[in-house]
Amino acid sequence: MPLIAMRVNGEEVEREAPDHTLLAFFLREQLGMTGTHVGCDTSQCGCCVVRIDGESVKSCTTLAVQAQGRSVTTIEGLAEGEALHPIQKAFRRMHALQCGYCTPGMMMSAVDLIERHGKPLTPDEVREGMEGNLCRCTGYHNIVKAIVVASEEMYAGGLKAETP
Amino acid sequence: MNDRVITALGNGGSPLINDRLFKAIGKPLERKEDLRLITGKGRFTDDFTFANQSWAWLVRSPYPHARIVGIDKTAALAMPGVLGVFTGADCLADGLKAIQHNPVPSTKYDVKLRGPDDTPVFAGRHFLLPVDKARYVGEALAIVIAETRDQASAAAEAVEVEYEELPWVADSQEAIKPDAPRLWDDLPSNVLVDATFGNVEETDRAFASAAHVVTFRQHVGRVTGMGLEPRAALGHYEADRDAYTLYAGSGGAVRQKKELSEVLGVDQKNIRVLSFDVGGNFGTRNRLYVESGLVLWASKKVGRPVKFRAERSESFLTDYQGRDLVTEVSLAIDKNGKFLAMRADNLSNVGSVLVSLSPLGKGSGLITGNYDIPLATLRARAVFSNTMATQAYRSSGRPEVTYAIERVVDKAARQLGIDRVELRRRNLVKREQMPYVNAVGSTYDSGEYEINMDALIQLGDFAGAEARRAEAKARGKLLGIGFVNYVESSIGTPKERVDLIVREKSVEVVIGTQPAGQGHETSFAQVTADVLNVPFENVFITMGDTDVVTAGGGTHSGRSMRHASTVIVMAAEELVALGRRMTAHLFDLPLDQVVYDDGVFRNIADETAWTWFDVAAKAATTDLPPELRGGLRVRCDNEMHTPVFPNGACMCEIEIDPETGSLEIKRYATIDDVGRCINPLIVHGQTHGGIAQGVGQAMWEGCHIDPASGQPLVGSLMDYGMPRFDNLPTFRNEIAEVLSPTNPFGVKAGGEGGTTGALAVIMSAVEDALLPVCGPIEMDMPATPLKVWTALQAAKAAPRKVKSEVTACP
Repeated sequence: MPLIAMRVNGEEVEREAPDHTLLAFFLREQLGMTGTHVGCDTSQCGCCVVRIDGESVKSCTTLAVQAQGRSVTTIEGLAEGEALHPIQKAFRRMHALQCGYCTPGMMMSAVDLIERHGKPLTPDEVREGMEGNLCRCTGYHNIVKAIVVASEEMYAGGLKAETP
Repeated sequence: MNDRVITALGNGGSPLINDRLFKAIGKPLERKEDLRLITGKGRFTDDFTFANQSWAWLVRSPYPHARIVGIDKTAALAMPGVLGVFTGADCLADGLKAIQHNPVPSTKYDVKLRGPDDTPVFAGRHFLLPVDKARYVGEALAIVIAETRDQASAAAEAVEVEYEELPWVADSQEAIKPDAPRLWDDLPSNVLVDATFGNVEETDRAFASAAHVVTFRQHVGRVTGMGLEPRAALGHYEADRDAYTLYAGSGGAVRQKKELSEVLGVDQKNIRVLSFDVGGNFGTRNRLYVESGLVLWASKKVGRPVKFRAERSESFLTDYQGRDLVTEVSLAIDKNGKFLAMRADNLSNVGSVLVSLSPLGKGSGLITGNYDIPLATLRARAVFSNTMATQAYRSSGRPEVTYAIERVVDKAARQLGIDRVELRRRNLVKREQMPYVNAVGSTYDSGEYEINMDALIQLGDFAGAEARRAEAKARGKLLGIGFVNYVESSIGTPKERVDLIVREKSVEVVIGTQPAGQGHETSFAQVTADVLNVPFENVFITMGDTDVVTAGGGTHSGRSMRHASTVIVMAAEELVALGRRMTAHLFDLPLDQVVYDDGVFRNIADETAWTWFDVAAKAATTDLPPELRGGLRVRCDNEMHTPVFPNGACMCEIEIDPETGSLEIKRYATIDDVGRCINPLIVHGQTHGGIAQGVGQAMWEGCHIDPASGQPLVGSLMDYGMPRFDNLPTFRNEIAEVLSPTNPFGVKAGGEGGTTGALAVIMSAVEDALLPVCGPIEMDMPATPLKVWTALQAAKAAPRKVKSEVTACP
């Protein structure tokens, strides 16, 4: 079994795991980080989204070895200590989650979308940009509101657009 | 936008309920459950792991109907890592019983569904693994346990099942025929329910004398719950304690424990069921699944904890499914547009075994909708078929009958040439008629249907719709406007228990409901905080562990807020009495010198006062007499049968591109009378999600079965249409609080209303959009672009003159 090493939420980790191990299950079952969820197995629902070197990926269809030597951020690494990320605060304030199962992937996708967009998002831009994530509980209404608000707060707080 | 709440003041019903003093109730407080869920610390079933756990994989039938000739485990048992392979024969040998689902709704307010010729309803036998036949594609026939999930999966491929394929039937209208392939030899046909309600003779007379008769017939198709958390179960048997522990998300752990004890033949005290965060339920997880029993039984067989986690494709095949009702309704109408009588004929497809008659029964009491129809008859039938069993799904039974009555009213309006809002207005049950007994015996507790309708007309700007239609037309688009009233019922399991425990700095509420996102930890804390006048932040709700929660009815049918608020206020009254006795003892006062006054116990002699937490702190450090030794802790049981009838109205506008058939929802507005609204943030959220699930069924969702092979054609999210970010609009919602007289807070329910009217309002809008081109067509759900485009092409090929048709009866 290969030794898979990566940085997860700032910490270096390495585990021996079968080479076909998917990143989602490497995180959940090897590292015990169960905040990343798997909803559909086919890259449709986005419950499993994490970021590798800042880019959002669906970890249910990414091999763990593809993250070898790279930096992975999961939902567990979104807050800075006790200080919640603006997207977490907005989801809570706007009631953008009900059962909470899609929520980690939803927020990881949203942060990537906001950071890449270069400016605050409109509701229509959120609806288009979040197309790869599904929610069964909320009808998306409050998630759209939360992402718009978070994007406004993040740019007001000094977020600069990433240069492509 | 427009998340406004119309508030009403109520009369309470308990000395502890005083609207003017509410600090938490009615406020859009952020949810207590969110912090763990937004930081990745949720507790979903698959998040639990035992160090030495093994994995399960199910061998499932590839045929809709096949005799099991034999199952050969030899090759599988020789595979690496395999710990055991077990079949239905092994279950029988160990004396496992069939699951007792208690499928016939049985409170005195449920309609009495019976078998043909007034026989008891035959449910089939739902064994964990069958021994005789496979009755649907995906039915589990054997379970393989191995060290890893991969090994279990590989070994399952090596289990050789010899099948004898049998003729099958999936469609209820085929299954009901006398010569259809039969699923159960115990019955002369596949029909397990055939019951008629209402006054047949008088209804016939009314129809015979009516000026108009309008009939509508359609199949409300089959959908699946699609909670994003795939089903999972983790079973652990400890031989030294003879104790079974199951981690499995559900709609109520107490029920699961009881049914597991029956299946396994084990005393309930030896079983513990834990259900914490649940990644979507919508009814599909309320009933026991075979895998939950199998992992416990297999854990005992192999001496290790056993985990099962479904693939999404397994969830599509084997999650209990929803709807699947063929409905035909007829309205008899007089020359002034007044409804005289109604006939309905509903046929429910229960699948291969009877798990619940809720989808048929819940709708039966509501066939007349919001309208004052003096006479009605209903024939309610249910059939077995070679499909996955159906169960209550979001607003079980109510969207189906709402669809039927509202679509036939639209059709009547067209045929009679009466404006559809005006026709509804003429026939609505009036506020003065409440409580209103409808023609099939349901007593609507309260409601202001016409006020709802008028409020919706304002909220949705119904008056501006024609201008928007003209504007769309100028862009080459067809705009359709849908309009619907709805009334639904919340009955549910009648019993609920609560433990209220006051400690030095907190109040704990132990209760037997089981949310899957409905926010009970927040809304129940709001109620408790206000009835005891303690800070909301200091109240904590405990649910989901049967070692702590000793009784409780779970969460379904919109029952939880109503039952919880009622039993909490009852318990609080007992707690106040106990608190007075405790205070008198602790401070050495005569009992009649201690009064309770909104959160404090007061010595009337000198006005000294102690809060709940003062009393609890003192009690914790005092040697108490036996009758007070439990501290500030009460247990209260309540049984409450009387149903409530949440109601409302909704409208939507859909724009169709005639070139492509594509549909876009441009506007969607609702008014929902939920009774007392404890937390508007949560209630609006429930409405939004409910709308999405109803719209999903109307526009995209369907568990299609190939008519040639009986194979389900939906196995992943690549072939099941879901509500998505970019196909739903921003909603306009208002809550109307007409307090129910049936319970202390006046709660109705807020979880199902969004779904109840959604099927009808979408199809009302689609058909309205197509009317100028296609005439008055009736389209089966889901209204896909292909169906819409095909209808438009057919109309182009054979243009028809559209006119208002009036059908006069002979």
